[in-house]
Amino acid sequence: MKRGLFVASSLASLGLSGCGPLKDALTNGPFHSVLSGTEGLNRVVIDTRGMARLYPDSAVDRNFRVNGLDTPSDDLYTRLARSGFRDYRLIVDGLVDRPQKLSLPELRAAGSLAQTTRHDCVEGWSAIGKWNGPRLGTVLAMAQPKAAARYCVFRCFDRDASGQPYYESLDLHQAAHPQTLLALDLNDAALDPDHGAPVRLRIPTQLGYKSAKWVSRIELVATLDGLYGGGGGYWEDQNYDWYAGI
Amino acid sequence: MTSSAERARAQPRAAAPGTLVYRHGVAERTTHWLWALALLVLFMSGLQIFNAAPYLDASDKSDPQRRVLAIRASTIDGQPVGVVTVFGHALRTTHLLGYTDDGMGFESARAFPGWLTLPGPQDLADGRRWHLLFAWVLVIAYGVYLIAAARRGTLREFVLRPSDLPKLWPMQLYYLRLRSEPPPHGTYNPMQKAAYTIVLFWFLPLLIVTGLALSPGVDASVPWLTVLLGGRQFARLWHFVLMVLLLGYFGTHLTLVVCTGCWNNMRSMITGWYRLKDHDGVGP
Repeated sequence: MKRGLFVASSLASLGLSGCGPLKDALTNGPFHSVLSGTEGLNRVVIDTRGMARLYPDSAVDRNFRVNGLDTPSDDLYTRLARSGFRDYRLIVDGLVDRPQKLSLPELRAAGSLAQTTRHDCVEGWSAIGKWNGPRLGTVLAMAQPKAAARYCVFRCFDRDASGQPYYESLDLHQAAHPQTLLALDLNDAALDPDHGAPVRLRIPTQLGYKSAKWVSRIELVATLDGLYGGGGGYWEDQNYDWYAGI
Repeated sequence: MTSSAERARAQPRAAAPGTLVYRHGVAERTTHWLWALALLVLFMSGLQIFNAAPYLDASDKSDPQRRVLAIRASTIDGQPVGVVTVFGHALRTTHLLGYTDDGMGFESARAFPGWLTLPGPQDLADGRRWHLLFAWVLVIAYGVYLIAAARRGTLREFVLRPSDLPKLWPMQLYYLRLRSEPPPHGTYNPMQKAAYTIVLFWFLPLLIVTGLALSPGVDASVPWLTVLLGGRQFARLWHFVLMVLLLGYFGTHLTLVVCTGCWNNMRSMITGWYRLKDHDGVGP
């Protein structure tokens, strides 16, 4: 009996420490496409029709956690920030009938929805913030997307250390969700640079990396193929799921 | 097969030791091994995911004031150390937790060691993919098992009934060798029944449900679920606690499989055939 236990535990520890190469091979080898295969299934089962829970204003984190890539420090962004984003224009173009160049006052005039929601990071932590801004759906409607448009791609001011720009994308169904905002304010004050000023996407029904900060342009496209890594977003190109509702 | 199912529906009775009986149908055996594999992958990839935010809060949003567990690296006398803090009590765990194997042959600030996580090196994206794929394997294997076991009557044999409760303590005494004979029982003894019932009808469903509650999409569709669990970070804490409980069950299960006739037990879960031992009964 004791010998059996000894053999079993030795085999288990040997197996665990010796299977590093096996784990690497399974993760990166032909099995890799199987690993990403559940994304579509999760999306069909969960979808994004549900409404994220709304919190009282008293629940907000006054020091909302800052994360993501570093705050942009290039000349263009610095110049825009110094003038309070007076010269900032959000470009909405691509497969649209009426391309837009919207100033911050024009975005505020497009409607203002205040929502206090929880931000769930893919890492596991959560923070609550009060966000304010027009619905993404309203802004997209102003540009009148063509019938061929299927996705909106968010181009951002931030870049990683190797110069790769941040970008994100949603399909038009997710973009039309009534809680998907172009946030201009956090906790009743205009977004500061560290939290994505002047405009960040806020989609509370998906994980935080979908809520792109420092948005400069929204491009409507028919396909995400051929765009950077083809994954539809900066983190998606690094193996994170495009559908981030799970 | 029919006759054994019929026998299973009968009242428990003593059976001749040495008799070979067909205990587990092919669907039960297949799904048992399938979810054993799924639980192994979910355990290892779950630790990988935990490493991305190596702390657990008994709250909805993250709140250091309500931190129950944190695993981190620190520095003492210029040397990196690993520290596990449970309910405010700090334990030094260098080389095992907090400051440990990074999965690439070195040590670094990392909650769980690379030899225990999937993938080995820190890789949240692929850890999530392993976890989400095998979550489906677990759910499907669990569902198929329940249907198959219910149809064959196996479920009836191991579901704990009120009449089993008085037999639990005598069985414990027998395990502790403080009693020479186990209480009379059917196919499974009362402690086995208690363990299988708790694991199958409490631990596994709760693991699945607490995992689902972590998904912002599920939370938006079924908001009361996360509220019921005490919030999102609390759901993460429950998910982790259930993993620890299941790990405890797994250790016990493995020990008893090995100690109560390893080959006979393994054969019954591979071929279905089990040779009855002394005190083994047949039936519920």
